[in-house]
Amino acid sequence: MSTHSPTSTERLTLRFVRSARTELEDRARRGYPHEACGLLVGRRDASGAAVYEVTESRNLESIRARDRYTLDPLHLLAVEEDARTRGLDVLGVWHTHPDRPAYPSETDRAAAWEGWSYVIASVERGEVADVRSWRLDGDSFVEEEIAS
Amino acid sequence: MSLSTPTSVLRVPTPLRRFTGGASELPLAGATLRAALESLRASHPDLLERVLDEDGEPRAFVHLFADGRDVASVGGLDTPVDGVSAFTVLPAVAGGALPGRERRLAELRLTIPEVEPDEARDLVEAGATLLDVREPDEVAGGSPTGATRLGRGFLELRVEDEIEDRDAPLLVLCQGGVRSLFAADGLARLGYTDVRSVRGGFAAWEALGLPVETPRTLDAQERERYARHLLMPEVGEAGQAKLLTSRVLLVGAGGLGSPAAFYLAAAGVGRLTIIDDDVVDRSNLQRQILHTDERVGEPKVESAARTLRALNPGVEIDAIRGRLDASNVDELVRAHDVVVDGTDNFSTRYLIGDACVAANVPNVHGSIFRFEGQVTVFAPHLGGPSYRELYPSPPPPDLAPSCAEAGVLGVLPGVVGTLEAIETIKLLLGIGQPLVGRVLHFDALETRFDTFEVAAPQRTAEVTP
Repeated sequence: MSTHSPTSTERLTLRFVRSARTELEDRARRGYPHEACGLLVGRRDASGAAVYEVTESRNLESIRARDRYTLDPLHLLAVEEDARTRGLDVLGVWHTHPDRPAYPSETDRAAAWEGWSYVIASVERGEVADVRSWRLDGDSFVEEEIAS
Repeated sequence: MSLSTPTSVLRVPTPLRRFTGGASELPLAGATLRAALESLRASHPDLLERVLDEDGEPRAFVHLFADGRDVASVGGLDTPVDGVSAFTVLPAVAGGALPGRERRLAELRLTIPEVEPDEARDLVEAGATLLDVREPDEVAGGSPTGATRLGRGFLELRVEDEIEDRDAPLLVLCQGGVRSLFAADGLARLGYTDVRSVRGGFAAWEALGLPVETPRTLDAQERERYARHLLMPEVGEAGQAKLLTSRVLLVGAGGLGSPAAFYLAAAGVGRLTIIDDDVVDRSNLQRQILHTDERVGEPKVESAARTLRALNPGVEIDAIRGRLDASNVDELVRAHDVVVDGTDNFSTRYLIGDACVAANVPNVHGSIFRFEGQVTVFAPHLGGPSYRELYPSPPPPDLAPSCAEAGVLGVLPGVVGTLEAIETIKLLLGIGQPLVGRVLHFDALETRFDTFEVAAPQRTAEVTP
């Protein structure tokens, strides 16, 4: 019935509505030099997913916040509940790489779930330099196109 | 009537809905959360496997909530189902940018194509270049047969001298397959378009039993001694190793042989054979700088060997006290890569010239007369005439007096013999334009160098395809 489990052969696209993209970049900049993180809320369909809202979670990593993030599970719970009541889905996670490229790390890969989009924003000297989205396919990340 | 089993629902987040057929909620029934989850095992084994570990405990990357409260704080899996309207399973969300090294490696693995060692061997056979970028002490223990060896340190600075074609397929190899990723990235940045990294590196290459050779490499002392050579791409580590395995025959330890042998030994030509039957005379010392006043009366080859060994103990000196003649010339010439002619008589010059033609060994020739000298390379297999083709018969004796008869400026053989040493090193390394088909003439009084082209004659025996 549903299209929740894309196969690796599909080329998916992640689209941001304009306000969501602006929200993401604003939050990424404000978090610098620490890693900021949050959730992507929207709808998934056959051709990919559309992000309507970008939420921000507390980063539970206080000691290594420059290069680690742990999203507050209570934030995820609240956002899941809220999205569910509005007929939306949590599509994935975003986080920043301060002064590092927007490529997933081994830490990112180890903690990733199939089916979600992992958006990484590279923030260099306080400015968003690059935004890329990744999906876990088996053991490795594949990049998905971002359309905006 | 028995008490009905307490029921609730399990809310499933999007990443786990692959295991619920897309459903966002599943009915839960059981006294405790543990019992309720276990009752799902038959219908949803994949989901259970992601939520609980082998011991039936929640996985590290999973959080469970009971109506918004973390179950870890309200009784864990023993939390009663009765009274909870919804349980929620949530993935832990974490990650991070990682240390630079691992991050960079992850990026490189996304951008640099990798090949297996046996695939690399096939590509090399099809014409690809295999670049061994390991350190010299690693290469000394073995390296893929036929590999080009350029240490990672100077790779970017020197590779363009070795590999001119930017589109040539390059396969980069290190010990384990990690450094080669960095090296391959460096090469791609220089503009090489087809660069791949050999997965598992030399360790994997060796483990698969692929062909290995042990190339001549330089030890620490040699690297220090030849440091100025190593800086030049035309020589470099490979060129110096080539010199150290080269063999040169010097005929005569006199005026021309002295500077030639001195510089060839200093340059690290690995084996020098010197043949001369004369003894040191005080009148030689005005120009024959291998010898010393206290060695007057000693055989020249013994004096030469002592001087050269003192300069460079790393060079093997084979001193033959005797004359070059028809009985030994062919064998001696064949055993060397280049012959340096420092003789003073025509019969020996013809002897050397003919033997060199027969063995395809270049003959570096020099001669001196008072204030004038000339140098050339006879190597018909490379072009130009042979000695006998240039001089079909010896001149009458009154037109070609010896030094003893005519005299010679002592410094003059220093210039000519040194030029012979330069031509020898160029031939050994295969660099530059050797004096093949050209005669260099030096006039010391006028301070003039002139070069004359000398053409090879039509050789009737040769068949041109």
